Amino acid sequence: MRQMRILVVEDEATNRDFLRRSLEDNGYETTLASTAQEAEEAAKSSALEGGVAIDGVILDLMLPDGDGISLIRRMKAAGLSAPVLILSAKRSVDERVFGLETGGDDYLTKPYAIAELMARLRNMVRRTETHAQEQKTVLRVQDITLDLLRREARRGEQVLELTTREFSLLEFLCRNAGRMVTRSMILDQVWGMRIEPETNVVDVHIYRLRNKMERRGERPLLRTIRGMGYVLQDR
Amino acid sequence: MFSKTGESWTGDSRNGERKPGERGITAAWRISLGSTVVFALGTTVAFLLLHHYVSREIQRRSDAWLTGEVSVLSDVAERTPRGALYDRIVDEIAELATKEVPVGRGPVGDPTRAVFFLETDAQDALKLWVGPGSGRIFLQAIRRSRFTPEQPVNLPIAQFPAPYRVVQYIADDGSRIYLGMSERNDRQVLWRMRAYFLGIFLAIVLLGFAITFVASRQLLRRVQRITETAARIDEDNLQSRVPGTGGSDEVAQLAATMNRMLDRISGAVQQLHAMSDSLAHDLRSPITAVRGKLELALMAESREMCEENVASALERLDRVSNLLTTSLDVSEAKAGALRLHRTRFNLIELVQSMTELYEPSLLERRITAHVQDHGEIVLEADAALFHRMVVNLLDNAVRHLPEGSSLWIEFDQKADWVEIRMEDDGPGYPPEVLARLFEKHVKGDASQGHGLGLAFVHAVVAAHGGAIRGSNREGGGTQLILEIPAHTERSASMATTG
Repeated sequence: MRQMRILVVEDEATNRDFLRRSLEDNGYETTLASTAQEAEEAAKSSALEGGVAIDGVILDLMLPDGDGISLIRRMKAAGLSAPVLILSAKRSVDERVFGLETGGDDYLTKPYAIAELMARLRNMVRRTETHAQEQKTVLRVQDITLDLLRREARRGEQVLELTTREFSLLEFLCRNAGRMVTRSMILDQVWGMRIEPETNVVDVHIYRLRNKMERRGERPLLRTIRGMGYVLQDR
Repeated sequence: MFSKTGESWTGDSRNGERKPGERGITAAWRISLGSTVVFALGTTVAFLLLHHYVSREIQRRSDAWLTGEVSVLSDVAERTPRGALYDRIVDEIAELATKEVPVGRGPVGDPTRAVFFLETDAQDALKLWVGPGSGRIFLQAIRRSRFTPEQPVNLPIAQFPAPYRVVQYIADDGSRIYLGMSERNDRQVLWRMRAYFLGIFLAIVLLGFAITFVASRQLLRRVQRITETAARIDEDNLQSRVPGTGGSDEVAQLAATMNRMLDRISGAVQQLHAMSDSLAHDLRSPITAVRGKLELALMAESREMCEENVASALERLDRVSNLLTTSLDVSEAKAGALRLHRTRFNLIELVQSMTELYEPSLLERRITAHVQDHGEIVLEADAALFHRMVVNLLDNAVRHLPEGSSLWIEFDQKADWVEIRMEDDGPGYPPEVLARLFEKHVKGDASQGHGLGLAFVHAVVAAHGGAIRGSNREGGGTQLILEIPAHTERSASMATTG
């Protein structure tokens, strides 16, 4: 199977290079564009027979030669069907919504955690590819079993007594097993809120979940990566 | 942004089409000349119509007099028996008739006399003459013209500048009677009328021109003052204002509008300065802290220490980013520029889901939260901002309430607003904080926060057109009351005035 190719539209060289390396580390191929014009050309060629196909776009809204919103329209008009992840330095909710309404499929506000960017990109690209993982009714990570239909969680043979929210939290961690998730990803995906609390609300939830699922003296399954987030170890 | 407009302005004036002053005089001239020409043409047309009417009316009147008089004279002439007395009687009557003429009565026999009476016999020989000068000249003129009985005609007479209006009457015996009246008087009336008109016309036109010119020049001078004020506005000077904006006419309104616009612009610029100043203030210390952590990481002796410091720096960076967002929101809301993306949601549900998120954190500090869980309060507001507002309130509670405290959140649907009441039984606000509770960077000495929490809450409430009150409860603890308009229209109008 061929690797997925992501078009990165970002005028700032450092960020562009950083995105390229992160994407390649995560197994993507990249096409780089530093201006709207280059991006449009790449979109055009991807739509052609024998052109380089593009599976996803990461787009910085502020470009030196024209704004990103109209670029999305032009790229879609040129035949691009891949989903677009908007990176925005503007924080206004209006602009975010506007971006999504005009053809962006997801957005992320700068500064972002690269883990979150990769998670959103994965979700976005997968959404258009296959829903295989979503269709699973039982999730397994090491000796954790989540029965999504019966809403039952087990560690080995032992049933874990989880609240509804803790179950959702664990489900989210299992779906992203082996990958780092940030606090804002957890708040967004489990609570459905894009907020940045000043206190450690997420940590306390994780702490409680961990207390219920981790056994004394074992290597912890749910690892904290300081300054970034959490990983549910899958091996 | 401002430097650009500044350049474009100086660019325009360098092109130097004309100085503002010259432009004003030219415009005044144009206005005065234009209005004067229109006025003069209109007046002339009106006068010509009047002149036409008056001259026709004068002629109609003299014709009526002539035909009436000639029938009287002919009557007398026919009834009077021919004899020695005939001439004298008719002469008398004619003499009387000529004196009836209202204007230009001259002495008898005066050649300037306006009326003549002439009678010829059947052989067309002069029989009787009453009038100026010699009857023969008149008879010659009469013979040269064609007459229809009782129809007045114009008859030019040699030696007389003005023609005579003459009517003919033919008696049964073939003798003819002619009664004529000089048009000299009519012409004098018309000529005098024209003279009066011309005099008045010239006076009015000149006066009108002068008044229009002076008035428009004064008006344009005021406009010019506005232009000059606008020209003085540049990136350094927004304080210039149009002087003397008294009165209520259009130019005064323009000046007042311009001044108001300048007030708003300079207000916005001041806000901008204040915003960037306070942003710099908000950002410098946390950035310094991040820098310090990274320096420590570089100098760390163990990998563990290094990672610890980098992680700490990352955490602080997240807070800087959050701080930046909040600080900008607070400043924008203060400047009335915070844009709301309104949706309808149940406020109680929103607050409950937030408290559910915070419950473990609160429990960890043994704080009991009592949130009203019944009822439904539908608000049309910016849900994302409300989420963040409640986060700030709950963060405050987690941070500041001592262990074992209680927290109450209740809702009230009033007539056209919604009240959120948040109380606790903690130590209350310190007195130095209470007075300036909703200002930026106001926080208790022991607070670890950035002092933006309540300022942000206030900003969100204000952006929605609401009000907020904070106090210390009598039994101890704090009380916050948030009042938010339930309807969009109302909140919109309040937001613009607030």
